[in-house]
Amino acid sequence: MKAGIVVFPGTNCDIDTKRACEYFGWDAEFIWHDENDLSKYDVVFLPGGFSYGDYIRAGRLAKFSPVMQALKDYAQNQRGFVVGICNGFQILCETKLLPGILSTNTNTKFICEETLLSVNHEGFPDTVKFAIAHGEGRYIADEQTLEEIKAKNMIFLQYKDNPNGSVDDIAGLYDRENRIIGMMPHPERGIFAETGNTDGRYFFEMLEREALNFACHCEEECSDDVAICKTRI
Amino acid sequence: MKKYKADVVVTLKNGVRDPQGAAVDTVLRRTGMEEESEVQTGKFFILSISGDDETQAREKLNSICEEVLSNPVLETYKIERFTAV
Repeated sequence: MKAGIVVFPGTNCDIDTKRACEYFGWDAEFIWHDENDLSKYDVVFLPGGFSYGDYIRAGRLAKFSPVMQALKDYAQNQRGFVVGICNGFQILCETKLLPGILSTNTNTKFICEETLLSVNHEGFPDTVKFAIAHGEGRYIADEQTLEEIKAKNMIFLQYKDNPNGSVDDIAGLYDRENRIIGMMPHPERGIFAETGNTDGRYFFEMLEREALNFACHCEEECSDDVAICKTRI
Repeated sequence: MKKYKADVVVTLKNGVRDPQGAAVDTVLRRTGMEEESEVQTGKFFILSISGDDETQAREKLNSICEEVLSNPVLETYKIERFTAV
């Protein structure tokens, strides 16, 4: 499993995300935001942080980085997973790779705590506990967009105790057709037992499980045979 | 090539909750400075724009407003001033 972690100026969860990937034995590397080919990765992370200082609005300026065009191609080719966490989710929404937008929390505060979530996906327990840390995490979408989201079964995570005022308690979306996941909570902060939370492992395990269904792009002649493909072990 | 200066104000769309505005309302009402307070917050940009003529410069400014300074899902923008330099 090969993971790429995009680094913008101001990204600060890149190292946590890389360590989380390495915990599962993945081959993970950083990608500077002017990269324009992502085809060798099974999963590309847009990690949390404050890309371009979050100036103007969270995610607004990052959408003009060359890597975002590469990411659009990557998603369109259904090459692998695109995972936007926190600031990454904000960037995905600004870029319109996911619908809706994230705005200032209802209580105007930066919220940093663990929160309970329900997950609309197989292989998760009923409730998981992930860390959140954001000032602009209130998910907003108009009625029509919400209907589309529901029709396409895109709601992935929902807050049990909505801390930021998100519509329909939405904490994360999953475009299952294009394999684009965006979420405000931080699964990469719930990997190591020392942190007191290991629920994030469910998410990484899900990526690993489902990436096996992707067409292989390795340079070896494996003919998509999982058993002999070195990149899948 | 001509040069222009523009002032742009970006505010949240009607109906989008503005928590910062609401916080200022609370203060103004509590202190009695304005009992009917309805504050809307936004962002203010001063830009210099170049173009062959005003029409071209304005087109350029509109696309900057739509793509960079605001997001139509959430915000609206208003060009408050557009003058030749």
